[in-house]
Amino acid sequence: MGALLWYVFLGSLWRRRLATSLSLLAIALGVALGLAVQLIHTAALDEFGRGLRLISGEADLQVVGSQSGFDDALYPLLAQRPEVAEASPILEMEARLPDRATTLRILGIDLFRAARLTPSLLPLGEGRSGEATPDQAAPTARGDVRLEALQPDALFLSPAAATQLALASGATLRVQVGTREVALRLAGAVPAAGVGQVLAVMDIAAAQQTFERIGRLSRIDLRLAPGVDAGRARRALSALLPPGVSLRTPADAQSEVQNLSRAYRVNLTMLAAIALMTGGFLVFSAQWLAVVRRRQEFALLRALGLDRAGLRRGLLAEGALLGLVGGLIGVALAHGLTALAFRLIGGDLGAGYFRGLAPQLQWEPGLMFGYLALGLGAGLAGAWLPAREAARLIPARGLRAGDEAEAYQAPPRWGLTLGLLGLAALSCLLPPLDGLPLGGYLAVALILVGAVLALPGLTPWAMRPLAGGRAILTRLARARLAAAPGQAVVAGAGVVASVALAVSMAIMVSSFRDSLDDWLTQMLPADLYLRAAAAGTSGYLEPEWVERVARLPGVTAVRPVRFENLRIGAGGEAIALIARHVTDRAGLPLVAGSTMPAPGPGTEPPAWISEAVADRLGLGVADPLPLPLGQAVQTFRVAGIWRDYARQQGAVVIELETFQRLTGDRRVNDLGLFLTAGTDPAGVMSAIRDLLGATMSEMILPGELRTMILGVFDRTFLVTYLMEAVAVMIGLFGISTSFAALATSRRKELGILRHLGLMRRQIGTLLATEAALTAAVGVVIGLVAGAAIAWILIEVINRQSFHWSMDMQWPLGVLLVFSLAMILLAALAARLSGRQAMRQDAVLAVREDW
Amino acid sequence: MLAIDNLSKRFDASREQALFERVSLRLAPGESVAIMGESGVGKSTFLNCIAGLEPVDGGRIQLRDRELTVLDEDAFARLRRRDYGFVFQAFHLLPHLTLAQNVALPLWLLEQDEASADGRARALLERVGLAHRADDWPRHLSGGEMQRVAIARALVHEPALVLCDEPTGNLDPARALGVLELLFEGIRTTGAIGILVTHSRLAAAYAHRILRLTPLGLIEEPGGA
Amino acid sequence: MGMVLCWCLTLLTAVQASDFAPVVQGRPLVFRADTGAHPDYRTEWWYITGWLTDEDGAERGFQVTFFRVATGIGADNPSRFAPRQLILAHAAIADPATGHLLHAERAERGLEPLAGAAQDRTQAWIKDWGLILDDDRYRARIETEAFAFDLSLIAAGPPLLNGRAGFSQKTPDPNHASYYYSRPQLAVTGRMRLNTEEHQVTGRAWLDHEWSSQLLSEEAQGWDWIGINLHDGGSLMAFQMRHPDGSVLWSAGTLVAGGADPRYLTPAQVRFQPQRRWRSPRTGKLYPVTWELEIDGQAWQLLPLMDDQELDGRQSTGVLYWEGGVRLMAADREIGRGYLEMTGY
Repeated sequence: MGALLWYVFLGSLWRRRLATSLSLLAIALGVALGLAVQLIHTAALDEFGRGLRLISGEADLQVVGSQSGFDDALYPLLAQRPEVAEASPILEMEARLPDRATTLRILGIDLFRAARLTPSLLPLGEGRSGEATPDQAAPTARGDVRLEALQPDALFLSPAAATQLALASGATLRVQVGTREVALRLAGAVPAAGVGQVLAVMDIAAAQQTFERIGRLSRIDLRLAPGVDAGRARRALSALLPPGVSLRTPADAQSEVQNLSRAYRVNLTMLAAIALMTGGFLVFSAQWLAVVRRRQEFALLRALGLDRAGLRRGLLAEGALLGLVGGLIGVALAHGLTALAFRLIGGDLGAGYFRGLAPQLQWEPGLMFGYLALGLGAGLAGAWLPAREAARLIPARGLRAGDEAEAYQAPPRWGLTLGLLGLAALSCLLPPLDGLPLGGYLAVALILVGAVLALPGLTPWAMRPLAGGRAILTRLARARLAAAPGQAVVAGAGVVASVALAVSMAIMVSSFRDSLDDWLTQMLPADLYLRAAAAGTSGYLEPEWVERVARLPGVTAVRPVRFENLRIGAGGEAIALIARHVTDRAGLPLVAGSTMPAPGPGTEPPAWISEAVADRLGLGVADPLPLPLGQAVQTFRVAGIWRDYARQQGAVVIELETFQRLTGDRRVNDLGLFLTAGTDPAGVMSAIRDLLGATMSEMILPGELRTMILGVFDRTFLVTYLMEAVAVMIGLFGISTSFAALATSRRKELGILRHLGLMRRQIGTLLATEAALTAAVGVVIGLVAGAAIAWILIEVINRQSFHWSMDMQWPLGVLLVFSLAMILLAALAARLSGRQAMRQDAVLAVREDW
Repeated sequence: MLAIDNLSKRFDASREQALFERVSLRLAPGESVAIMGESGVGKSTFLNCIAGLEPVDGGRIQLRDRELTVLDEDAFARLRRRDYGFVFQAFHLLPHLTLAQNVALPLWLLEQDEASADGRARALLERVGLAHRADDWPRHLSGGEMQRVAIARALVHEPALVLCDEPTGNLDPARALGVLELLFEGIRTTGAIGILVTHSRLAAAYAHRILRLTPLGLIEEPGGA
Repeated sequence: MGMVLCWCLTLLTAVQASDFAPVVQGRPLVFRADTGAHPDYRTEWWYITGWLTDEDGAERGFQVTFFRVATGIGADNPSRFAPRQLILAHAAIADPATGHLLHAERAERGLEPLAGAAQDRTQAWIKDWGLILDDDRYRARIETEAFAFDLSLIAAGPPLLNGRAGFSQKTPDPNHASYYYSRPQLAVTGRMRLNTEEHQVTGRAWLDHEWSSQLLSEEAQGWDWIGINLHDGGSLMAFQMRHPDGSVLWSAGTLVAGGADPRYLTPAQVRFQPQRRWRSPRTGKLYPVTWELEIDGQAWQLLPLMDDQELDGRQSTGVLYWEGGVRLMAADREIGRGYLEMTGY
């Protein structure tokens, strides 16, 4: 069967090169996007895990607290416990680099302790190792660096940080502390940090002093004494921890970030899967048409003795080859895309989950073969039905010159369609599984399949109103579609899938963008914003600076904001705390509750929680919310739930004065400035620069910030847009090749019509009319399915993945233009391909087989 | 030896009315027969029944003492591969295969290696006088040439049975004669049994015997070679 | 005397000696206060060496040392982690059955209650390692995976001042000097663990306590030091500093003949003469493991407990040296036992 397989089956792929390349492209694209997303995230997660192992070393447990850390008196207390063999204190901060507008992760370590728990973080002094001095007198590098590393201004950079900052040892690096600048000296490297970790190390005492965190620690790494039961030790040690400080294993930390990025990752993977599905649809269309066209050929082969299984195998081999080649191209493409993504947007696809990492492209044979298999699967799945159909062919009939309309018989499948849609509705009710909206994804897939299956039933039904038409062409077209609804399925499946996907994405993205825009308007009511530093970094504003800014001419009011990170609940989950004024001025995009809490029975201060917190902790308005603030746990009362697109892990807003009263900490991160009417913000900005120094503070106008954030939004969705655009393009190409192939396969029928006196132009119009009708049915079904999918994306998938809600928007204009374009393009494609088919003499076409 | 006994076939739609009944026929290797009859009497269907392309409603067909009516579809397909050759009115050459490849098709199905299949196909093309165009495409051929290629294809694997359905139906009389010469010459030299369905007396005259198919069976006609 | 660690650490700081208290002749040493730490001085150590005999009569050498190093860093830093003082500890066991030294070390910044050195009396510790003086009884405790000991060491007499009333000159230049006293003839009892074998041990040991702010002279390539408990109840401490060419830069000692008063030995009265040499298979270094001594006109011999008592600290303290148990022989008769330390080979 070798020659037969090669010349008859696989050779046919070459003969219909356009359709084949489109199928290949679709599969390659699906595979490439899916694999690239996986490769990027695997590399980023690996690097993140490596970073965690690097900084947690051989620790069994870690003591972690809020972002401002915890009292370092806990360290000697824990270090002396009999359960603890080794304890290593760490102060970690994100230092803002004022002359570079970026931040650097600095770990303050006790190198005597780190030597035993995290040896790869040990610094190496510059230059004195390996020199050819007589070794009696040569102190080794490590002995050397011990005192060197204790110097208050000594900073050691990881290789990746040195590369990123382009600094060599001996250079000076300026870091921002509050509104001051401090110069640190690069005393050497952290050579064992690995190539992907952007970080710096300094002595813990120096770090506490430099960054004004005397008495604070971010973390204590613990190694348990040999033979100690981990669970019991954990319980015993937990009892010693103050509120807001918790114990976790290094693996917990990894899964915290993994979980955070997982929903995003899965979303992208699902989009890639949909692209792959589009590829499968295209293979299906192309193969179906090829089978129809090759009916006589297959009938001959069957007469010559090819059995049904052989025919099926041959056709499946065609699909498999498409899948395999598409998969291989996709795998190659994925590696290119991944390398490009690492260079251009970093390891998080622009979503900001992995900062301070420089992941490297890795060879992942498992993933690669997995996606290759998916490509192969898409090819095989697409070829399956056509192959089955071809094997069913009765050779005696196929040998006769035939009307292919028989191949386009497709009984309505109302029961199955309604069943699938019902299942889809039920899937939407499922709660997220392990934090993933699997029910939502299932519903999307079910709706797509259900919509395609509705085609054969809906097409004749949709043709009924046209029955009264007097025009011969309309009647012919109507008759054809009503009698051969399978044709509508073949050509329309692509239309339905592309339209549904494009429409759903359009609705979802536009709803998201509009909601984000509203949200920004509400969140940014001031005229000018002054930011000492982003949350978690080393910059902040002291109260006297706030007052001095408030006294500047033209400033009517200032709204300081303080950012913190807390760990709450039994699991010690991290959430963001935002302390600001709430009750005196609005500006919180509430979805429930109010900014002016009714004076309740207790005296608990109010808190406003983001939807993510509400979902994760199962909280509602008026529920109590204990937060570890300062030295104690303070119970707040939930006054409202607000929408937050910025902090996926969840955020709680409290009044700034409550925060300051409880913690005694009066420093703030951001300052919103309200100006008197007519004041030029530029003048105020330069006054602030004179006051604080040019490099110490970022200032931004809300308009610019909004533009910037929407820019980030668009960039984040760029991957999505790109995927959808390509899927729609492929869908459109698929439709035009479908119609071209249909026209060719109906050459004889069209020849008869020409015999009967139809003009060439009329044949073209007939084809265009049929295509437009088919596409119109597909577009209408696609619109309905797309709207349903959009609803699922917004209300189920986004809600469950990211815990944010949005208001549904209908970009009607865009949808209308898109739908009309789709119908017109289908008609145009059919018309053009009809001309191709008409080129051969009609008489010859008829005579050929009669 | 092909033995057909009491073969009957009804119309598809109504299972009551018979297309033909009690058709019996015995043919020895090297023997050829032409079957004539009115349009719609079921000549092609009779041929399809012998080829296993349509199910029969009664009677037996035996080839070399092997009962064929009990074979399932795929077993029949494997039998056709080995023992049947076909010549169609519409030629049915695959347009995307060269003449040599078209002729080699039955050998491919028998999983002969490509090189020997090619050699054999060229030898057959030589016999039908088209050796010089072995690597040409079917679309460049006239109808007569196409049918000569089809004859080469029908004989290339030396089948026991060659079934021909109006082989000259699409050809003008002058070309038809050449084609018929080649066809019957080939059937004779391969020692195959030839069954020819035709409207044309001229064509029928090349066969050893001429039979007329009627709803009540086969009736011997005078004429025949 | 254990200058080993101070050698490597002091070389490294860019801090000037003038930042620390100077060592001057004529400062009287006051006990018990001076058995404690002197954080104003740059380096300080409590250094115990000795011989132990277990219940089966097997003899082993042991050594335990606590160092205190003032870094000159972080004086203005209110952080509890401010690295003003570092505490380091070394412990080793010389067991002829093993054939080489068992060795362990720790280093920490002074951070009470985890690691520190008290000022009122000898008390230095890093977690569960410690050396503490209680009246006239020292207690030394070391726990490692490979070995452990917990020893009680009782002093026979008052501290023995070396040099001129505790002012010990290291080179011809009197600026290179330390405060230095010894506690010879410590009676040892306690327990020792080697891997999992527990032993009850008794023996004799020697404690040096020395502090200084001066860097070692750049002229010195290395030194040789002995601290020997004489069997007649007396003691001998002697050292020499060597030039790079092997010639002697300075030497000195303190000799207490049985029952007699201590005698300060001048450079002219102390001579070290190397005899048999042993090459380390690990480092290729050549150490003189037997010596002819000429102390105050008497000719004595030093024989090692075993040849291989090399300590490779290049990965930690940065120095490679030989330190181990020795016997002091007077014409084939053993007259004392103690420890020999040799650096700069």
